[in-house]
Amino acid sequence: MRAIPTLKISISGVRGVIGESLTPTLLTRFAQAFGTYVGLGTIVIGRDPRTSGEMVKQAVIAGLLSSGCRVIDVGMCPVPTIQLLVRHHRAHGGIAITASHNPAEWNALKFIGGDGLFLNSGKAREMLDIYHQGEYSKVAGVEMREVEEMPGAANLHIQKIFDVLGPLPQSAKPLRVVLDACNGAGSLVGPKLLERLGVEVIPINVTPNGLFPRPAEPLAENLGDLCAAVKEHGANIGFAQDMDADRLAIVSEQGIPIGEDYTLVLATLYVLGKELGSVVANLSSSSVLQEVARRFDCPLFLTRIGEVNVTEEMQKENAVIGGEGNGGVIYPRINFARDSLTGMALVLHLLAETGQTITELVNSFPTFSLIKEKLVCPSNKISAVLRMLRHEYAEYPLDVRDGVKVMLPNGWFLVRGSNTEPIIRVTAEATNEATASEIIAGVYGQVQACIDS
Amino acid sequence: MKPLKIGITGVRGIVGQTFTPEVAVGFSQAFGTYLDGGRILVCRDTRASGPMVRAATIAGLLAAGCEVIDLGISPTPSLQLAVTWLKADGGIAITAGHNPSQWNALKFVRGDGLYLNPTQAEELLDIFHQGEFAKATWDQIVPAIQHEDPIAHHIELLKYVFDVEAIRHRQLKVAIDCCNGACSLLMPRWLREIGCEVLAINDDPTATFPHAPEPKPQNMAQLGAVVKAGRADIGFAHDADGERLGIVTELGQPLSEELTFALATRIRLQQKTGNVVTNISTTGAIEQIAATYEGTVVRTPVGQTYISEGMIEVNSVLGGEGSGGVTVPELHLTHDSAAAVGLILEGLARDGRPVSKLVEELPQLTMLKHNFPVDPSRLYSVLQNFRVSVEREQLTCDLTDGIRVVLPEGWVHVRASNTESMIRLIVEADETRSAQNLLDWARDRLNR
Repeated sequence: MRAIPTLKISISGVRGVIGESLTPTLLTRFAQAFGTYVGLGTIVIGRDPRTSGEMVKQAVIAGLLSSGCRVIDVGMCPVPTIQLLVRHHRAHGGIAITASHNPAEWNALKFIGGDGLFLNSGKAREMLDIYHQGEYSKVAGVEMREVEEMPGAANLHIQKIFDVLGPLPQSAKPLRVVLDACNGAGSLVGPKLLERLGVEVIPINVTPNGLFPRPAEPLAENLGDLCAAVKEHGANIGFAQDMDADRLAIVSEQGIPIGEDYTLVLATLYVLGKELGSVVANLSSSSVLQEVARRFDCPLFLTRIGEVNVTEEMQKENAVIGGEGNGGVIYPRINFARDSLTGMALVLHLLAETGQTITELVNSFPTFSLIKEKLVCPSNKISAVLRMLRHEYAEYPLDVRDGVKVMLPNGWFLVRGSNTEPIIRVTAEATNEATASEIIAGVYGQVQACIDS
Repeated sequence: MKPLKIGITGVRGIVGQTFTPEVAVGFSQAFGTYLDGGRILVCRDTRASGPMVRAATIAGLLAAGCEVIDLGISPTPSLQLAVTWLKADGGIAITAGHNPSQWNALKFVRGDGLYLNPTQAEELLDIFHQGEFAKATWDQIVPAIQHEDPIAHHIELLKYVFDVEAIRHRQLKVAIDCCNGACSLLMPRWLREIGCEVLAINDDPTATFPHAPEPKPQNMAQLGAVVKAGRADIGFAHDADGERLGIVTELGQPLSEELTFALATRIRLQQKTGNVVTNISTTGAIEQIAATYEGTVVRTPVGQTYISEGMIEVNSVLGGEGSGGVTVPELHLTHDSAAAVGLILEGLARDGRPVSKLVEELPQLTMLKHNFPVDPSRLYSVLQNFRVSVEREQLTCDLTDGIRVVLPEGWVHVRASNTESMIRLIVEADETRSAQNLLDWARDRLNR
């Protein structure tokens, strides 16, 4: 089989493997292209704790300074914090240095516009055109500036959350929380936020040294340590973040992962309980979210996958809450970004105010089973796979805005190529696990056969 | 011609035009590849483009798997001393030295603290051009370490090498112009520590260059005024990274940069005689001074690296160039304006007379310099034609670097510049009229 290339330049940014494709020259060129794209403005940069982060950051700083930008370096901090700071400083843009859930050898640049949102596909294409054209703006050396370092930027984020949501209601016994930060960008700020909210925190994996204590995606199979710690300490809840602290997964008081898609469900339950309004999620989100919206009689809008698609739709619909089924909660009163810190604060408020356990809250919804699979797929095969599915399932209602989503009588499935890795993702949901497994097994086989052909 | 110069002195260019982040990243990767990883020191002078070039350099070195120690703003000689002190495998000094502020450059230092020699520089260039660099994997990359005070070590060694007690005893008042360069952090501190009263101007490393950083008389008027007004015993002008030195006498008179090395030679040979190494376009006064003290002079091509290599070869007591660079081998084998200051203050302290008297005793020669731009494609043929016409007159050409001809009234040196597309013509004679004649003689033969 042909080697799968390790460099992925797409509208989601540029991503690659350190020591192979993601070279300092490539990075410094991308930073110049971005600097050229935004003009002579202020750019906020920050990184996750990957070991290559410092190398990548220096290459980015060189490129931005060369193109005449003023650079504010917030150091190691969560991606949503960088997005928040772009707005706070009225900057012209931001660059987040993180390969989010990719393994340790990867790193990436994600580009943020002056509104704190990731560049949408149109803007990202304009920026990519500048990159490929290779003619970047250059200021004279005598006009270049020093980088402005701003450590402790995350305190501002904590303050914002606290200002909007306030402390948890007083109770005789404070909530006990286990936090697994995956040694990620949330390692230092997460425990601080939780203490500020007045809960008892038991932190694990909060050493941001660039070594991954577990695979970074907060999927059930990666949360063994957290589940054990929740049981051991008799905690009310366990939180798991990913490397860049945008996604959040929850473990119940029984030490059982409730599934990433329930994070947005619980956050939405709390927010709609306070304030009615539109909800926005991507089209791979769980049907449970539909149930929550229905419970409050609020509209739910489904968008293409990708944070910026959700945030743009949220602005358009003036939504009160939104996010993605992978544990990304977007609460616009705090931050127009998937924000695990905001997510934790919302869910803790829900727990404290309802007095219910996580298990009770989850059980109050009809059960659905959501299963996700992925297959390695060369990018040139993706469109053939999608064409095959559109043809095979032509008799059912289809949503083809992003990959192919098929509404079957007993559930639904979605097949789409990843923006960030050479893989195809298959998601299926049904009212019980057997049906969901059956759906996904059938589709998986069809897709694999198509890739191999 | 595009002003990017990739050569044995490193890579230099105008930032915002040819000296891009890619160039700095690529050369740093090449240098890291050349040294096969290892510990590398990085320093910079105070140019506004310094932070950009520093970031690019650190990115390239980290990507190539180097352990980077960042010395921040520091004179290049301080880095060269720190290389051996911190047991590093090499260093990169980010500085365009005496070039104006729009320039910047990378200068490559080996594990012994000296610049790459021409052969090594060519090896580095070959790696750069080949473009295949060592790539560290994610688990081999360690963040750069910031060094708090690399200059303390430099000062400690300076105090060890020079007669600090004699200087302290003389209670000298010294004016310095640091050109807001890296010496702002070194010179006032080192002079105060040895008991001098310091009148410092342009010693703010966050400010821009107040004048061109080349320590020539036309850039030393302000220092001259400070020396006079402050009744200082001497004034010293520094370039941006602490290699070249210019001198103002106690009368406020700026001296030609040629006299820095001449004065240093006189002081040094008076202390201890031996071999002196200089380049072939430096003043002939050096031979006359050496003759007085029974020393000998060895001439090399123009450039710091040739002086260093020559000094090792002949085990010399002093090296230097007419541009104002002085090398005191007890400290290290590289130009160091702080060392030049130490040597001259030591000489002043021991002699007891004012500096203008010492200068008066130096041979009084007239040197004239003339530069003219030549299309890069014609540089070689212009020099070749000059050589042919000189040899037709039965004169001998010294081809150490360019063409040097000795005539009854003095000497003529013609060479292509290392940094710009121009021919440098230098003549020297006992008196102005003869020097003018030599200049005309050479111009005639160059224009033919």
